[in-house]
Amino acid sequence: MDAADAATSTETEASIDLLVVVLDTNPSQHVVRQNPQNLTQILEAVIAFGNAHLMQKAQNKLAVLSCSHHATDFLYPLPGRQVELRQVDGQYEVFSLVEKTVKQQLGSILMNAPRLSSPCESLLAGSMSMALCYISRLQRNIGAGVKMHSRILVITGSNECASQYMTYMNVFFTAQKLNIVIDTCALDKTLSLLQQGCDITNGQFLKVTQLDGLLQYLLWVFLPSPQMRHKMVLPPPPKVDYRASCFCHRELIDIGYVCSVCLSVFCKYSPICTTCHTIFKMPGPLPIRPKKKKKPEKM
Amino acid sequence: MADTKSGRYASSSAAISPLVQGPENLECKNFQEYLRTRQTPETLEKFYHYPPICLAVFRELPEIARQFVIRILFIDQPVPQAVVSSWGAQKFAKEQAEATSCLSALNVWRVTAIPGGLAAWELSPTFKKSVRQALMGGGKPWPMTNTLDKDSKPRDIPFLDSYAMSRWRCVLHYMVGTGGRNGGSDAEAISPDAVRILLHANLMKRDERGGISITRQGFQFLLLDTRAQVWHFMLQYLETCEERGISLPECLSMLFQLSFATLGRDYSSEGMSNQMLTFLQHLREFGLVYQRKRKECRFYPTRLALNVTNKDAATATTAADEERMQERGYIVVETNYRVYAYTDSQLQVAVLGLFTELLYRFPNLVVGVLTRDAVRQALRGGITAEQIVSYLEQYAHPNMKLVESAIQSKSCLPPTVVDQIKLWEMERNRFTYTEGVVYNQFLSQNDFVTLRDYAQSINMLVWQNERTRTMVVQKNGHDDVKRYWKKYSK
Repeated sequence: MDAADAATSTETEASIDLLVVVLDTNPSQHVVRQNPQNLTQILEAVIAFGNAHLMQKAQNKLAVLSCSHHATDFLYPLPGRQVELRQVDGQYEVFSLVEKTVKQQLGSILMNAPRLSSPCESLLAGSMSMALCYISRLQRNIGAGVKMHSRILVITGSNECASQYMTYMNVFFTAQKLNIVIDTCALDKTLSLLQQGCDITNGQFLKVTQLDGLLQYLLWVFLPSPQMRHKMVLPPPPKVDYRASCFCHRELIDIGYVCSVCLSVFCKYSPICTTCHTIFKMPGPLPIRPKKKKKPEKM
Repeated sequence: MADTKSGRYASSSAAISPLVQGPENLECKNFQEYLRTRQTPETLEKFYHYPPICLAVFRELPEIARQFVIRILFIDQPVPQAVVSSWGAQKFAKEQAEATSCLSALNVWRVTAIPGGLAAWELSPTFKKSVRQALMGGGKPWPMTNTLDKDSKPRDIPFLDSYAMSRWRCVLHYMVGTGGRNGGSDAEAISPDAVRILLHANLMKRDERGGISITRQGFQFLLLDTRAQVWHFMLQYLETCEERGISLPECLSMLFQLSFATLGRDYSSEGMSNQMLTFLQHLREFGLVYQRKRKECRFYPTRLALNVTNKDAATATTAADEERMQERGYIVVETNYRVYAYTDSQLQVAVLGLFTELLYRFPNLVVGVLTRDAVRQALRGGITAEQIVSYLEQYAHPNMKLVESAIQSKSCLPPTVVDQIKLWEMERNRFTYTEGVVYNQFLSQNDFVTLRDYAQSINMLVWQNERTRTMVVQKNGHDDVKRYWKKYSK
């Protein structure tokens, strides 16, 4: 028993933990519009959290993506050679590299972003797909006999948009298949779609109401790796709203019509499925079929 | 009067043989054990002034302990113990207790009282400050990070790897004595300081003729993988560093700083004290850092120095992070216990000869066979089966790894061979040793029976023989039995 325990513990030691943070930097988020300083505060917390993750084990890895209304960009790591950087204070050089790179990148992205005329939704699902691609690329490159545990943490204050429903679902089920855990930290609203995603992939969903304690929340709920979460007491999973969104108006519905061929969901009846172009018959009164008479068997 | 002799006694009534594993075996400590056994709270506190040491200590903690530390890192008041223990799941209370005691043992946190009379945990202020500094910034920059102008001829990683390995192999070659015999070319020589460390570590000893020869521990040392060798060697070095007048915390801090450095990057030794410069020269000799000239301010840490405490970190790098430093494997093990080693190195042959019976030698190939006798000889020398297997695994020929085995196992060696080596080891562990005291030369049978029955009644009897009137009592029961005997004989 003890030997088995020791074996599993050494195994977890020898694995790589990859954390991909998807940070919503859309300026039309409610929290940011309220007070632009909030974004700085969130950013500081995310950087500290990322560094805390790197601090856990020497072989831990981190990636940070920014997600906006028009594009998704890598904030860390950057492709190619890293920025040449010397320590300026007592901070560990790897950590200061993360901090500098993330801030620099985000600054240039925000400066070059196209002007917003009206609030736009963030392309969260797209960013998550990008994170999945990144994870699967790293997964392919690791050496034989090394395990990699990956997870995605989404930090967003955006509202949910049902228009990305299909992409979300694809992301969730891909993640589930690849054993990637999706965690979500919602800063503003309860996001039922992402909640479903966390539930599907065994991740944690947390709604933070107070931005002041953000770092402490992150460290508490999201820092333990999914493999050791059962050893810690974490907030119980909330009731998940499993409503689907309809394909015609992108609204969450309780009862709707489902295409019998491709399983698309519609809130109203339409004679042709817009996804697979199947033609349905008009629902009329059920035709009364004459009972088939049994043919007399020939001998 | 019963005569008592104290001594070690084997419960299966066999005489004590020299195969009792004494303290002469090689002990390999990890960093946490090193801190726990060697350091007093005061020295630990001194260590915690250095952020690199704190970072290394943090990474050595059990994973639950790491979570606890992180969670109270940014809290300025002490946290009640009850609150901390409520963070872990009930089911893992044992693991949690271990984590808690580990944190206390390392002086990372301590108990304080908070108003209301509750016991609370408080992180050691120095530790807290240093970790915060490493994580969030602030404070003084670590030494050796001074800005350098660009190196005109920067050294790349493959160069550093080969340099490090060649330096390190020098030390190993010296140990098996091939260095001296080969005419002692310049690259093969090692400094008196290094020799002193080898002697101190008991890896080598002075023999009667005034020469230096390798010890049993030395051979065990050779069987370790490179990373473990470096770590063990550095620990021994640290023990001698007080004698040299180098401050231990500074040394340790420097070592960890190197271990957290980025491979392939140059660092500056500007502003280092003379002691640290000496230390750097020693590290240079063992191949932990590369420096072009003694006087040059620029040095490159090599892979040997990176993550010295963590041996798993090396295996768990992604392929994108360059290929491994490991020497190419050269050993093929077959299911018929034959071992083929494609090597011409004296060192490798000598090590292999420790546990195989060598059959043939060719210019580039050695053939041996793993026999019971040869392996037992090695085991008698204090080498464990685990070490033999891991050595064979570490240097397995690349083709061994390609062989598809029907049995899914992590090892690339034939399972039968691995099992057999382990069985050979288990053969030897049929004795359990109990510390005991012999009572004999009883004057009457009655005395003997009374005392024996008493010893039996308090469950302290190990062995007895009525005919010779001899009995053995466990050592901690000796006082009781003696007292009883005095009372009885009055």
